[in-house]
Amino acid sequence: MFSKVLIANRGEIAVRVIRACRELGMQTVAVYSEADRQALHVRHADEAYLLGPAPSRGSYLRADKIIQIARKSGAGAIHPGYGFLAERADFAQACLDEGLAYIGPKPSSIAAMGDKAVARATVAASGVPVVPGTEGEGSLTDEQLLDLAPKIGFPLLIKATAGGGGKGMREVRNLKEMPSLLHSARREAEASFGDGNVYLEKLVEGARHIEIQILADNHGNVIHLGERECSMQRRHQKLLEESPSPFVGDDEELRQRMGEVAVRAAQAVDYLNAGTIEFLVDKDKNFFFLEMNTRLQVEHPVTEMVTGVDIVKEQIRIARGRQMRHTQEDINLNGWAIECRINAEDAYNNFLPSTGQISHMIIPTGPGVRVDTGVYPGFEISPYYDSLISKLIVHGETRGEAILRMRRALEEYKIVGVRTNIPFHQHLMDSHRFMGGQYDTRFVEERFSMDAAEEGKEDLSEIAAILAALVAHQQTERAAHIIQRGERDTSNWKWVGRWERIHR
Amino acid sequence: MKYVATIGDREYIIEIVDERHVVVDGVNYEVDFESLSGQPVHSLLVNDRSFEAHVYPSDEGWQVLLRGNLYELQVEDERERRLRASMGGGPIAAGEYHLKSPMPGLVVALPVEEGHQIKKGDVLVILESMKMQNELKSPRDGTVSRVRVKPGDSVEQKETLLSVL
Repeated sequence: MFSKVLIANRGEIAVRVIRACRELGMQTVAVYSEADRQALHVRHADEAYLLGPAPSRGSYLRADKIIQIARKSGAGAIHPGYGFLAERADFAQACLDEGLAYIGPKPSSIAAMGDKAVARATVAASGVPVVPGTEGEGSLTDEQLLDLAPKIGFPLLIKATAGGGGKGMREVRNLKEMPSLLHSARREAEASFGDGNVYLEKLVEGARHIEIQILADNHGNVIHLGERECSMQRRHQKLLEESPSPFVGDDEELRQRMGEVAVRAAQAVDYLNAGTIEFLVDKDKNFFFLEMNTRLQVEHPVTEMVTGVDIVKEQIRIARGRQMRHTQEDINLNGWAIECRINAEDAYNNFLPSTGQISHMIIPTGPGVRVDTGVYPGFEISPYYDSLISKLIVHGETRGEAILRMRRALEEYKIVGVRTNIPFHQHLMDSHRFMGGQYDTRFVEERFSMDAAEEGKEDLSEIAAILAALVAHQQTERAAHIIQRGERDTSNWKWVGRWERIHR
Repeated sequence: MKYVATIGDREYIIEIVDERHVVVDGVNYEVDFESLSGQPVHSLLVNDRSFEAHVYPSDEGWQVLLRGNLYELQVEDERERRLRASMGGGPIAAGEYHLKSPMPGLVVALPVEEGHQIKKGDVLVILESMKMQNELKSPRDGTVSRVRVKPGDSVEQKETLLSVL
């Protein structure tokens, strides 16, 4: 049984896993790229090893080097986090071949669910409903896909077979625009996952994206930890998640039914450890299997907040061959949790990524607030990795309390040096539709604007004008000081002499 | 010193009397203004109400991020304003627009070529950064006059990618 864990990741998730290990009294091994020497995960870990240059191909995707480091450091297990090598069956297998515990599912389950097309075929065979598409066809050429597209019908989605997080995903409205979209989807998939294969899926309009967290141990137990609402997306990137889902609400029957189907889907691939079944839910509460993420999710904290289960610790426990601490009967959703993904993206400039050094930061604290982050003041946000810099999670007794708490926390959160999407979340918290829980996966793109002020909000233009005038004034004054001589009561030379003496 | 701050089509005449007093459109305000730990974060007490904002200089003037809202303004002092008025005022005639890279990244594609007629909102460059492909769009109509990069190029922040005439 292992007592030292190598975390094959970076950023907030590496920090999250290190925290779980620490609390369990385990030793931690960090790996890092040349851009991440000063990263928080390196600072928090017991040991740290350089992987290689900043681009992930030369560092965080170097499975061979990571395994070598595990051997060298004497780590007994590898936690992959999310992204990078997290859903690579060959990597999981290589760990096992080396006698390392892989904190995640079996390679065979990753392979079955990792190829999204095969996954759909597998779960469909066990009676789980799926969205129509090119499931179970294996890798297809552009010609074959163009041929199949009209049979599925437009609009449809091109998705990366090895995908996740919206990378390599394109929406297709007609056959004419499809070839170029196929091309760019393959290119992005190749760049993100090293696999350019794609498949097609019918686009369910007005759909909600709701997922179920699963835990499965080596002793035949599979439980679900309720749902997460993930419909708040932009360009298929999740921006905010909540648990429970306002759409499922108090429909306990729907929740249990989705949970049972999710458990069945997991059992279909003999699943082990933590995983997530994503469903598309239409207006009439019909739900379809979308895909299974065979790893820890970015948004796992909202489930932790409402169930009280530490998912990462449970993952480690399961990987050590123990029984889970909870049975299905123990799992109750208590209160409400919301997570805002804080990205280094300029909410006021088309969400363009923003890079640079974080010069100043105040993290919100206080009752019911949790921040998972991998950055700190002085840390450089580089263009090499994704733009998620922090996750702000709040818990409240009710959804209303959670929203008000999130508003409060967002106002407290100050990040200077890079632009962030905090203003986006602030606008969202004021949006009547969001407050009413009425949003689907198209909400941000179609019915949300940063310009539209919600009623009843105070207009602070005058205050902004005063601020800008004061800053401009200060700047002119300062410029004037530099030019003017003899402003001080003594000569500048004397003044410099005194100043130096003080600071000696 | 008197300043004119413009937000959209609204103008505020702001007189900075001394460190503690400003007059906005003839109304007196007692203010206390501090920069926080040398950062572009400012704390402002106006008649005892407390505000905190990020104030950034921008190409067009100033950006004030206040309670989640971004206010874009121009601030001119009286002299600048008189100067502009005597020059005939109005915005400067549209010259060449240089598309600068908003972040370091990799040029993935250039859907336009030199000489192409383009419309406002047309995609000029697709730039990959932070594992995302970002479309850089034209802010106005015009003709692509000079293309300085090609697909596969790594570019620095603020590097000029192409020009529109």
